[in-house]
Amino acid sequence: MNTLKRIAIYLSLLGPGLITAMIDNDASGITTFSVAGARYGYSLLWTIIPTTIALIVVQEMIARMGIVTGKGLADLIRENYGVKNTFFLMLGLFFANLGTTVANFSGFAASMEILGVSKYLIVPTGAILIWLLISKGSYRFVERVLLSACILFVGYIISGIMAKPDWSEVVNNTFVPHIKFETEYLMLSIAIVGTTITPWMQFYFQSSIVEKGLKKSNFFITKAEIFIGSLVTVLISAFIIITCGAILYPAGIRITDASEVGIALKPFAGEYAKIIFAVSLANASILGAIIVPLASAYYICEAMGWESGVGKSFNEAPQFTWIYSIIIFISAVMVIIPGSPLILLMVLSSFGNGILLPFVLIYAISLVNKKALMGEYTNSRGYNIVSWTTICVLVLLSIGMLVSMYMQYTKTNSLFFLS
Amino acid sequence: MLQHKINIKETSGPMPIYGELFLSEILSKPIVDQEGDVLGKIKDIIVVKGEPLPIVKKIILSKNNTLYQLDYKNISIFNKRIIAAKIKADKLQPYIASDDDLLSVRDILDKQILDINGAKVVRVNDIRLQAYLGYIVFIAVDIGVRGILRRLGFEKKGHNFLKFFKLNLPYNLIRWDSLQPISPRLKSLSLKMPKLLLEHIHPADIADIISRLSRDEGAHFFKSLDNESAAETLSELEPETQGEIISSLKTERIVDIIEEMSPDDAADILNDLSRKKIREILDNLKREDADSIEKLLAHDSDSAGGLMTDEFLAYKPDLTVEEAMKRFKEDAHDVETIHYIYITDELEILLGIISLRDFLLSLPQCKMSEIMATNMKTLTPEDDEDIVAATFSKYNLVAMPVVDKEGHLLGIISVDDIIDVILPPRAKRKIKKI
Repeated sequence: MNTLKRIAIYLSLLGPGLITAMIDNDASGITTFSVAGARYGYSLLWTIIPTTIALIVVQEMIARMGIVTGKGLADLIRENYGVKNTFFLMLGLFFANLGTTVANFSGFAASMEILGVSKYLIVPTGAILIWLLISKGSYRFVERVLLSACILFVGYIISGIMAKPDWSEVVNNTFVPHIKFETEYLMLSIAIVGTTITPWMQFYFQSSIVEKGLKKSNFFITKAEIFIGSLVTVLISAFIIITCGAILYPAGIRITDASEVGIALKPFAGEYAKIIFAVSLANASILGAIIVPLASAYYICEAMGWESGVGKSFNEAPQFTWIYSIIIFISAVMVIIPGSPLILLMVLSSFGNGILLPFVLIYAISLVNKKALMGEYTNSRGYNIVSWTTICVLVLLSIGMLVSMYMQYTKTNSLFFLS
Repeated sequence: MLQHKINIKETSGPMPIYGELFLSEILSKPIVDQEGDVLGKIKDIIVVKGEPLPIVKKIILSKNNTLYQLDYKNISIFNKRIIAAKIKADKLQPYIASDDDLLSVRDILDKQILDINGAKVVRVNDIRLQAYLGYIVFIAVDIGVRGILRRLGFEKKGHNFLKFFKLNLPYNLIRWDSLQPISPRLKSLSLKMPKLLLEHIHPADIADIISRLSRDEGAHFFKSLDNESAAETLSELEPETQGEIISSLKTERIVDIIEEMSPDDAADILNDLSRKKIREILDNLKREDADSIEKLLAHDSDSAGGLMTDEFLAYKPDLTVEEAMKRFKEDAHDVETIHYIYITDELEILLGIISLRDFLLSLPQCKMSEIMATNMKTLTPEDDEDIVAATFSKYNLVAMPVVDKEGHLLGIISVDDIIDVILPPRAKRKIKKI
């Protein structure tokens, strides 16, 4: 067996839990956390702990559903809630994923700008290459390589420590919420949850579990993976906030340009801070730009009963091909429009996911509590409490945000924020 | 008194369904009694096996959040506008959901079902009902976009919208008799014996279907196959799926299936099992079958030795074509690959090969040694499968002999064994979605 084959096999041993965790920090994630740290210092850190708990709980539910039923989430929703509910959910998912892909292409464009390559050149090229990779089905190996490159994010942890932040302040803000009733603040808090617990990732995660053929005997390992994966991903998120809070916030850098984020890595990478940041952002963006359109096409086709599968000709699987093609190309177009606010787009996509999340969670909770479906593996009281609390908090934050947006509008007659 | 003598036949009763009627068109619609008072809204339909199609037995309705059942005999009008019952509200029986009942919404709608003709798994978007001999039957299933639009309430608008562009919104219906239910609960509704239906699908397609179903559904579906189809299908499945299915079967069933396979395919399957399981199965097979398989198991599964089979035609060089022809007519039944006849001496050393073509076109009095080719390409049992594939590809061969160092003929590899190495079929390639 040659080395390449060996590497591929080794990487395929990575469980779904760990892979999902690595994909969690995509372009919109990195940007959201960076903006959060740059504009509000450490004061958004309190969202981290509740979000982590919610993440672990939700993923465990999803994994449990996948293992017990052996079916994907879209499949289950269709079979138990009928076509009307499924259709509207898929519609929402389509637009949310479109937003995520726009964010990924934005991240790609932004990272290339730092490296001095024009976005008008690199984005169309990237989009076409990604489209070809998917259509030919040869994205698999590329995916694995990109996944392993995600290790670059550890740079944020090192940077954060080297920046010597005021740890007492960090700890204070992590455990004591200092909520500011401002539109931007509330929007970012929703965005933080939305980018950590993305709706599409729950579908992805359950499908990976099903595909891997995991059985009830694998429960323990899967739970361990979820726990470790969630901790790692949230740790990285937290450190992005801390690092930007320690370096950019005092300097008043509000991040309207991606290159400004690179500065946060200076303590760790010095001269190369910007380059390392650009590379890790590009890496995460390309990975996301491959996975999200493909995943969307699979779930929507699975739910609607349409033929799916890469390597099938357009005539064999028309809706499948249309879906991922549209997502890729519309996203690319939106990003190359001159003057499109890349940073804003990335944060908006996290926000959109945060709004869609309660709906997906409601379906997931109802499914996981069905005795006919899950037998003895329905939710315990504790799980139900945590899940419902997450939904309530999200809804409250959304309402709060809309209210403050309204108040800001009447005061200043503008909706202009986040710029 | 006259009234008692008139026999009112029930079959002339309530069933005029005019035009097409889809389940989605009547769900949530009210049922009225003879006076026009609403009895309740239609929630579901209980359906039972009928000859030849499933028939509607009862309608489940809800009123004030309670469920009631209405026997179909008590229906007087049934069309997409009005559904009327013969009885009044006080005669309605309450209904408690039970697992023994087959409900159209709970158990069939939105579920996956197997389309035999298309050999694929489809999803039920809607069900078409029709009158038949005084009953209401499920005649077809709508798996197309039109069905989805109808469920969403946009069928007319969608149709008109497309008409504007001179496009058509086609129906995509599958008749119930070419469907095979997947979920175990629906087994009783299947039309013919599964075996008859599944005879029409190629095992490779069956394997494709099984790989798309969930683990339990796939195993359950596999159990309904007869031994011969099961044997062929099992060979076409991905190793992991093979393992899952085998672990769900009893040893006797596994033995029955293995007996239908040629030794090289059987060795492939057994290779991935635990030693104990292999021993168990081999002990239950016929002596010679077990021996053949064991010999093959001794080799590495991805080497020539692991790919070969010991079933081939071997004749002595001094046989005449006429004599060989007689033997051929008997032996060929038991051998999978007859493209070549191998000529061996009494020590089983390979001397030459004759293609079937040459064999059939030769004069009957020729000796086999006269028409055989001696410069044949051979493989050794240790050759890696990639070398085997490359050799087949280079020389455009259909079968190749495998010999040991002294030249003894150990077995043959046919092209269908190696074609899976050159291009693994879809069911065998892990259908990783993401």
